Amino acid sequence: MSELKRTQLYDTHVAAGATMVDFGGWEMPIKYPSDIVAEHLYTRHFCSLFDVSHMGRLLVEGPDRVKFLQHVLTSNVAGLDLNKAQYCIIPDENGCAIDDAYLYRFEEERFLLVVNAANTDKDLAHLMPIVEKYDCKLTNITADWAAIAVQGPKSKELMMTLSGGEAVTEPMKNALNTLELEGHLARVAKTGYTGEPLGYEVYVRSADAKWLWDRLCELGAKPAGLGARDTLRLEAGMPLYGHEMGVDPDGVPMPIFSVSLAKFAVSFSDLKGDYIGRKALEKQSETFKRIQNRDFSDMSAVPKSIRPIALLERGVMRAGMEVFRNGEKIGWVTSGTMVPYYKAEGEGLETVITDEVVKRAIGTCYIASDVLEDDTVEVDVRGKRVKAVIPARHLDTMAPPFARPIVYGVELSKRAESSEGRPARALELLKRAEENHIWRQKKCVNLIPSENTPSHAVQTLCASDPCCRYAEHKKVKSFYDKDIFYYQGTGFIDEVEQLAVEELKKYFGCTEVETRVISGQMSNMCVFSALMDWKNRLDRKHTPQRLGYVLNNHIIKGGHLSAQPMGALHDYIAVDPVTERSAVVNFPVCKDDIFRIDVEETKKVIDEYRPEFIIFGKSMVLRKEPVAEIRKYVDEQGIPTTIMYDMAHVLGLVGDYFQKPFEEGAEIVTGSTHKTFFGPQRGLVAVNYKEDELKYGLWETIENRAFPGSVSNHHLGTQLGLLMAVYEMNHFKDQYQKAVIENAKSFAKSLKAQGLNVCGDPSIGYTETHQVIVSVGYGEGAEIASRLEKNNVIVNYQATPDEEGFTASGALRMGVSEMTRFGFGAEDFDKLAQLMADCILRNKDVSEDVTKLRAAHTEMRYCFDDAQFDAALNELASKIGF
Amino acid sequence: MNYPTDLKYSKSHEWVRMEDGVAVIGISDFAQSELGDVVFINLPEVGDDTTAGEPFGDVESVKAVSDLISPVSGSVCAINEELLDAPEKLNENPYGAWIIKVENVGDQEELLDAEAYEKHCAEEKG
Repeated sequence: MSELKRTQLYDTHVAAGATMVDFGGWEMPIKYPSDIVAEHLYTRHFCSLFDVSHMGRLLVEGPDRVKFLQHVLTSNVAGLDLNKAQYCIIPDENGCAIDDAYLYRFEEERFLLVVNAANTDKDLAHLMPIVEKYDCKLTNITADWAAIAVQGPKSKELMMTLSGGEAVTEPMKNALNTLELEGHLARVAKTGYTGEPLGYEVYVRSADAKWLWDRLCELGAKPAGLGARDTLRLEAGMPLYGHEMGVDPDGVPMPIFSVSLAKFAVSFSDLKGDYIGRKALEKQSETFKRIQNRDFSDMSAVPKSIRPIALLERGVMRAGMEVFRNGEKIGWVTSGTMVPYYKAEGEGLETVITDEVVKRAIGTCYIASDVLEDDTVEVDVRGKRVKAVIPARHLDTMAPPFARPIVYGVELSKRAESSEGRPARALELLKRAEENHIWRQKKCVNLIPSENTPSHAVQTLCASDPCCRYAEHKKVKSFYDKDIFYYQGTGFIDEVEQLAVEELKKYFGCTEVETRVISGQMSNMCVFSALMDWKNRLDRKHTPQRLGYVLNNHIIKGGHLSAQPMGALHDYIAVDPVTERSAVVNFPVCKDDIFRIDVEETKKVIDEYRPEFIIFGKSMVLRKEPVAEIRKYVDEQGIPTTIMYDMAHVLGLVGDYFQKPFEEGAEIVTGSTHKTFFGPQRGLVAVNYKEDELKYGLWETIENRAFPGSVSNHHLGTQLGLLMAVYEMNHFKDQYQKAVIENAKSFAKSLKAQGLNVCGDPSIGYTETHQVIVSVGYGEGAEIASRLEKNNVIVNYQATPDEEGFTASGALRMGVSEMTRFGFGAEDFDKLAQLMADCILRNKDVSEDVTKLRAAHTEMRYCFDDAQFDAALNELASKIGF
Repeated sequence: MNYPTDLKYSKSHEWVRMEDGVAVIGISDFAQSELGDVVFINLPEVGDDTTAGEPFGDVESVKAVSDLISPVSGSVCAINEELLDAPEKLNENPYGAWIIKVENVGDQEELLDAEAYEKHCAEEKG
């Protein structure tokens, strides 16, 4: 036997008492004295370190690097952006895996391919003769750099200690960054092999390996060996070459599409040409799709699939054990053992991870592809048939900062159905509604920035007769674009709509407004649909082209859901054939103020992508959007584009105190009418196209996509309420808008003075909008927001731009518009800041003080209230039956 | 590593303590340490016969499964059911966590005293 290789950290492992074993020709720690179970749990609960320096690191550089990699890997290398990584497979001609790997692009002109330690020599033997045919080179740099995986919920905090508070990487999976950790150069990838939503793989020069390892241990991380690495990846359902890839126990090669991860790792982009294994993989992919659609008529290309498996009876599964269905052998267990987890109690966001350790016998199997989720099978555990099930997954990673074990058979509790009769339940509903109304309207301080309370007049109008009527209408060219109504009895609503449109034109200073869309999200869908229709208007004989590129704010950087591919943009956005992802790019943000768009960097993005559509606007918004700067730039550069500002949050702030979107160069404004605006819950679209302009046609398309495109009847009660709201806004906006902005700045200052961590730029008073954002500690947002609710302060918990998602939220998002409308001023917000600090920082019960503060402010401002108006309102209300 | 002198040991790392003709059987400190975290145990039933030198059950660690070899022939008169739910007790307290009790003891394997067993372990460890 040749001598075993050792990593840069060998002595460190031995000194720590690790049990060393031969792993793929390397002498590696399988466990430390703490042992595998403790190491597994410490990873899930805190943070573990894994020495992964044994993994093969191959550098690919030279002019043909992309061409070469496209040929030898399954993934689309052309779609790999700088500072991104992708999972890929090294295929053979038959569509089976020679190895699986991760491809990193830390540098513009080099790729780093990281392969399995045990396969490095085999991979090199396969790749070297091929690379010779290309103008590029492949170098084994395994010995030059050490690799340490830092995995677990605390990994981010520990790494940020070393980076001096700088973001280690973007918070997205597969993000890369090169930075200094206490003066040592490090290449960091947000990747891992544990299933932890927070975890990094860190590459440092060999000489720095021991320093990094020891320093992270000092900060509280603990070493974990290959044993825990295996149980963690098994629980996370990640394949291991030699078990879930390679050859099966009968020696038959396993098709790549046996592993469902292949769906992401394999690309059939035209840019990949006729790469190794392509034809076989295309056949597998077709079979895979049929199997996913439960058509099992021909599974020959993928006869067996890798699936999770969990024992339902006592026992432990091990790799190689046979799996049976109704007495017939259908495959084998590929990995299996007893895996520990911390028991969780409670449901949803209330879930508490206890310190009680439970173990479960889980594994992965390679079984007939027609087995369905929840099917039961049997495993031959050393002669005994033990019942098992095929679950969806063993672990879920979508609720950071923790990986959550998914235990088979757990069901959410169901609400017990009332035994009362319907009349009693109806009565109960009324009582509960009253209770809720009083709580939110009289006792709570409402700080949700997307909410407002409409005036009595608006609410009363919403409940008046048109609330139950229909009024479809459409402009008809034959009648010189006269709006023709399809229902009788609609003369009044016709007039109301026209008045609302005229008032709104004055409010925005624009040429046209559409008010029939009934939500902000629908406003956006209406515009996206219209833009797509407009784009395709000259060619109706082909499937319409979708939009692309679109420039918007990333959801993690405060972007609206309603402008994202996962939201309203979903059905209208193209897929970029190069990246094979949605054709969306995001506004870069300033490094020193992540709430602000970086205009200079944005210009570079515009040059590169020449977006046909630019969407300003955010739902977490502290700054004005640079509409004028970007308008000027695209005009100067002659870039044909459409600029829209989704003002949902700030629709009520249009004017001198915030922004005048059309003056600054926006063409389209969308929004919802109930956040900073005074309306009932509706949406609207405003444009500034003139009749003689080419793009007036886009406006007409927007009208058409509103009706009949988005609504048939458009909720006439709230349409009536909207007119009153616009009257109020146009009459009171100077006082209201000034008060909102002043209150927001003043509230931010008070919160800061109370010792809370207020986000944003202090030099502008933290905010230029109605919003104030307070950071309360990573992952603490939901708990603090819930505590505040118990104390009658209603806020949003919010993920800030450097956090992974809503469960990791470390901030509170607040808006002052509703309380401003109820007359809160600087002193009231100062008092509120004090109460909130007591609650957040000192966990004091302030519920009664909050209610007292609110009770002094229940009368609405910025609405009409003279005697004649009140008398007429009361008259109307009494007729409706109030 | 702990080798209590009041016990006898088999070369396959079980310990035996005779109590009024009944053999109380467990696994040694050395055995639990080599196994690592014990996560599962299979036990015989009361009334089953055991044969000296033959398996009477097995223990599983995270990484592997190992047979439990009976040092004596006889019949099982008690099993430590607590271990079924908490096999980690074999790691925590190997000499307190007995596994089975055997009565009607007949044949016995060659059993070592503490000193000889410690030497045996040292040799095995190499």
